[in-house]
This record gives sequence, C-alpha cells and structure tokens, in this order.
Amino acid sequence: MVGNLPMKRTLLKFLLGLALLPLAALAGDPAINGRWRMDPARSTALDSWTTMDLVIATDGSKVGLRHDMTWHATKVTATNTVDTVAPVEIVNFFRVDQRHMAVYPQPKEAAHVTAAWLDGGRTLRVEAQVPLETSQGNATMRLYEEYRLLEGGNELLLIELHSTRSRPLVYHFTKVPEEAAKK
Amino acid sequence: MKRLTFSLALILSATAGLHGAGPAPAVMPAREAYVMHFNSDWKIVSGLPEKVLLIGLQGLANRTAPRFYIVHAADFPWEITGPLKDFYERKHGVHFTELTTAEEALAQFAQYAKGYVVWDPAVMPTMNVAYTIAGLEDAVMVTPALIPLAERHGLKPIDDLRGRYNGKTDAQIYTDAKSRYWARCSHDKLMLMGGHRGDIRIPGIADWGVREKMFFHDLSANPIHADELALEKQFFSELNPGGTIFGWHVYGKDTEEQHTTLISTYGLKMEGLQSLPNLSFNCQFGFTPGFKFTNHHHVTPEQKLTAQAKVYISFVQSDGIGIGVWTKPGRGRIPLAWGAIMGWVHFSPAALEYFHESATPADYFIGGLSGPSYMYPNHIPANRFGLLMQEASDLMKVLDETIFEIMDNSAADGNVGNADLTKETVDRYYAAFPDAAGFINGYGPARTRDLRGSRPLISYDYYIDPRRPREDVTADMNELIALNAKRPYFLLVHVRESNDVNSLVEVIKQLTGPVEVVPLDTFMKLAASNQTYVTRYQHPDDPKHFKGY
Repeated sequence: MVGNLPMKRTLLKFLLGLALLPLAALAGDPAINGRWRMDPARSTALDSWTTMDLVIATDGSKVGLRHDMTWHATKVTATNTVDTVAPVEIVNFFRVDQRHMAVYPQPKEAAHVTAAWLDGGRTLRVEAQVPLETSQGNATMRLYEEYRLLEGGNELLLIELHSTRSRPLVYHFTKVPEEAAKK
Repeated sequence: MKRLTFSLALILSATAGLHGAGPAPAVMPAREAYVMHFNSDWKIVSGLPEKVLLIGLQGLANRTAPRFYIVHAADFPWEITGPLKDFYERKHGVHFTELTTAEEALAQFAQYAKGYVVWDPAVMPTMNVAYTIAGLEDAVMVTPALIPLAERHGLKPIDDLRGRYNGKTDAQIYTDAKSRYWARCSHDKLMLMGGHRGDIRIPGIADWGVREKMFFHDLSANPIHADELALEKQFFSELNPGGTIFGWHVYGKDTEEQHTTLISTYGLKMEGLQSLPNLSFNCQFGFTPGFKFTNHHHVTPEQKLTAQAKVYISFVQSDGIGIGVWTKPGRGRIPLAWGAIMGWVHFSPAALEYFHESATPADYFIGGLSGPSYMYPNHIPANRFGLLMQEASDLMKVLDETIFEIMDNSAADGNVGNADLTKETVDRYYAAFPDAAGFINGYGPARTRDLRGSRPLISYDYYIDPRRPREDVTADMNELIALNAKRPYFLLVHVRESNDVNSLVEVIKQLTGPVEVVPLDTFMKLAASNQTYVTRYQHPDDPKHFKGY
C-alpha cells in the first residue's frame, strides 16, 4: 500500500489537472490587463486616427476592450465587452476603421461576437460579424482578432484579419506603467 | 435666361482685361515689371518683417498697374509662382527685372507709398491692423528695426502701433480697429489673415488686401471665443450681399469647418488661402486674345454609355489646383479631374489659362467648390442660394465645365466624419444647375448619393491621404471593392493635394477584379446607366462633430 502512494498522488494530480483545465482555458493571464499604447513605428498605419490606447479589463469571463483614440483635438472612447464563454451581441461594435473609406457601422445593428482565451490565457481571440453600410447598401465583414501577450508581459500584439481584406492589420502595443496610466 | 445672358456677359467682359478696382483696358500692352524671389524664412523673429513690408509694398505698387511679382521657394504651398511668371513672359510679353533686396524694392516702389506704419512683432495683431492702415493710407509696413530702411527712401511716419494694443485681447484690438478703419474699408471683401500660429506667419495674400483696401483680422469663429465670434458676425452682417472673405482661418484658434460654416451662414464666399500670392498682380491680366476654355470632354451631353460588370474608378484632385501636383511628374498618366478655382476668372485669369494651356488629355476640369467659391451649402440661406449658384453656373460655362463638386464639412471632423448633404440641399443643386451633367460630393468619404434622370450625384468612397503607405492604399481600395460586391461598382476617389500621381499608377496595378479607371465625365455617364449605389442623404441621426451656430 505504502509503495503505491506516489503513483496514487500522481494520478490524483493528473485528474485534478484535467478537471481544472476548462477553468484555466477561461482565464486570461492577468498581465494582459491594463493600458496599452500603440507604437506607430511598428504598427500598420492608422488612417485618420492619431493615437490609440487599448485598455483591457477582465472580469470573470468578460473582457472589456476599451479603445481610447485621438484624432487631433478629438478624443473617442469606445468599449467592446466580449465574453469568453458565450457569444454576445454588441451594438456599435467598435473597430479601428480606416475612416477615409466610406464604410460605416449600420446604425442600431448589433455585431455577433465570440471570444476565447488561447495559449494558456496569453492570447484573446475575438471573432465578429460586423454589420456595415457601404455605398451599395448593407454588408457584413467577418472580423478575426488575436490579442497576443508577448514574452515578458510588457508588449501586446493585435493582429486583425477581415474577410474583405487580404492584408492583415498589425498593431504593436507597449504596456503603460500603472502610475503613468492613472495620469 | 435674361439674367444668365447678362451674367455671362459681365463675366466675359470682366475677364477681358483689368480686374479689381480700376477700369478694364482694351488691349494689354507689353510691359515691364519687377520680380523678387522669396526664400522660405517666414519666422517672426527673422524673415517675416521684411516679407510683410515687401508684400504690402507689392499691393501698393500694383494698385494701378502690374509692376511687382513674387516667386516663392520650392517648398511654398503654392507651387505655380515660377511657372506662372514664365507664362506672363511668354504669353503677355512681360519683361521682369530682378530685385534682390528690400532696399532695391523700396528704391523702385516707395513712390507709391505716402509714408510708413510701425507694427510690433511682439503683438502680432498689430500686423493685421497695420495692413489695414497700409491699404487705406498707402503706407509701407515696418517693424521698429526697419524704420531706418523706410526713412532712407524718404518715407515719413503715418502711424505707430507700438504700445497701443499691449495687453489687449484680440477682440479688443479688432473692436478698436473696426471703430477707426472699417468705415473706409471695402465692404465687398474682408481679409481673414489666419493660418499659422506660433513662430511663423505666411501673409502671402496681403498684397491683394492692401490693393483692395480690405480690413485685416484673424478673429476666431470658435464658439468658445464668444467675443471674437460676436465681432466677426458683426463684420459679416455689415458686408455687402455676395461679399467675399479672402484668406484662411487661424490654425489652433478655430477650425476650417467652423469658419466656413459661419461664412456660409451669411451667404458669403470664401477664397483661400492666406498664403495665396500675387493676386494684386494677377488680377490685372485677362485671358490672352482668342483664348477660350476648352475642356477635355470624353463624352458628349447626349451620349449614352452602358456600364459593364466591372469596377469603375475615377480620381479627383480638388484642393485648390495650384497647391496640388500639377507641376509634379506623372500628371497625364491617369485620368484625373481637377477642381480649378472658379473665382480666379475674376482675379487670377492668367493662372486659369496657364492650367488649361498645360492640361493633358487626361486632365479634366470641374466646377466648385459648392458654389462660386468655397462654401458649405447646408448652411447657405435659401434666399442667397439661387443667386450664388447662378454665379457658379455662369462660371462653369466660361470654363467649359459640366460637372460640379460639392463639399460640406460643417458637421465633419477635419477630413473625416459627416460630409453629407441634406435632401433639401440636393434638391436645390439639381434645380440650380439644370445643365450640369452631374455632381460629386465630399472631401473625405461621404454617403450622399442620388440619380435624377441621367444626372448622378456621387460621393467619394475613398480619400487618399498623401502620407498613407501605398500598400495600405491598395489594401483599402481592394477592401472597398470586396465590400461593394455588386458590379458595376462606382468608386470615386479623392486624391489629396500632394499625392504623387506616379504612385497612384502603381496602386492601380495592384487592384483586384475587373477594374477600369475612367475620366470623371465618363464615370458619371456610366453611373447614370446602372444605379448600383443607394440613394441617401444626410440623416438627422448621423453623427455631427460640429452642430453649427
């Protein structure tokens, strides 16, 4: 009996690990929370936005993705709150649009949005069906985003794909220290 | 019809000779004139004071004849001063003698001044007050450091603004100046000497203001500057109907959108920029004998075209033709429509003739912007709209133009946001321009679209920022093509002023799908043949960055 104890402990740990695996998949790495500032030199060129900060806040399965955008003296703040366990419908879904294109959100229409933690909580995947208005009427853009926490936890990479665009949009962010973020 | 004939006759007779203050001579004889080449130093602490003196002197020297022309540096916003000088030499027989210093300029032109007025670079509004005085009193403008220069040429002090306005707000300064000078100034033209703040100013258009005895100011149209706004409204309300505001708004004090909205609300016209040079010279040359504008039309008014299942793209460059890419390599490689400044028929006809003379078959001129000059039509009073658009329509006939460009950024945020027209505004345009082949709208993208009979109104679907990497421009345009999946798709593109035409050619090569780049008049005919775009006007719920006054 005594001789089998280590094996039993190992099995117990394995079963416990299996049981906890779904929970781990639901949780993001806490290091992803906070304010992130886009580095223009390492990012796809913004068109008609001057700066972009991303503020990420996880609350259980919900993840708030706040975009603090500036354009000269104009400041725009918009938050998409996604859920990693269930799809959500988001009216006025915010995307970092190229505002020199005649592509507008469809007023009052909601985007269908799903999200999940990947890579042990270091990557947040967001997929959205975004209702848009173009000169020919209504259209839907399928949007795929990955928010990847890079090694060291001080850099974040946002990769965005559109079903309508062959070229990915890549935004590189650096963590804004907590004290600086409060200012 | 009678009014149209009468208006056209007026324009044509005006363009035959002298414009501005004096009567028109029947024949433009060969003449002598002087030219100076300016450098790029417009700093208040260094190059500006002498340039202020010279530009003011230019206004005085050119009051009764075109005597003094300025060629600006290569990086100056208006790139045509050199080519236009060549045009005057070649087509008008002007022989220019070079002046290299202010000393030489005063030696030549001090005879047109009655004295000098001192302004204070430490209180910059005194520059504008001094310009007003210069026009009224025939004064040369000097800073304290330049007084000896003026006196060496026999000029005596007329006024001295040092100390008069120290510690006063802009509203207080211009209120005082209004009480002193406004009654004697032109009430048809007002000079908004705005533009840069900080350590530079570029008062390139001041010669025109001095020649025409305008009141100079740089008041704000921003509602947060309530006292300045109230004073500016007083000026606007006291201008004669149909008056024109020359110059430009003040960067940092207010926005182009605010100022143009305010001006349009009074049914007035805007002619920019504050840097626009040589109008006092240009206004005195008509079109050369026998010259007639002949646009490079690609379709006839009666012609009908049928759009195929493809993407049709047309490019438009509308930012004041002289500050665009006209003189840069590549023009002519793709069809490009140009928004020539129609008001130049009145005060810079040679420049228009120069553009038309040097146009390639790929260059196509269109009317605009929104009226006989730059205006925001959603805000033009109903009782002024018809008269203004009649003036614009008449100018289009002179310039052989059939397509009219509209822009209303009153609710926009710079070149993004709401640039749409109300249905009422669209109705007015269709009624006011019965002979127009169609209308285009926007600056940045917009979503006002219509088709009435065979005459479309199409807004820009894309705006090319000159700084945007070309691979991103390509991706943007390909994305628009993907999102607008019906064929034909009509993709109207606004090419911002300093874009390089050669780079556009490379972008076009990378576009996906059956794409054809067509001249704007062809584009409009095709767009009339198959309306795959949605009729839409500005909606009350559309976001507005600035809600107006």
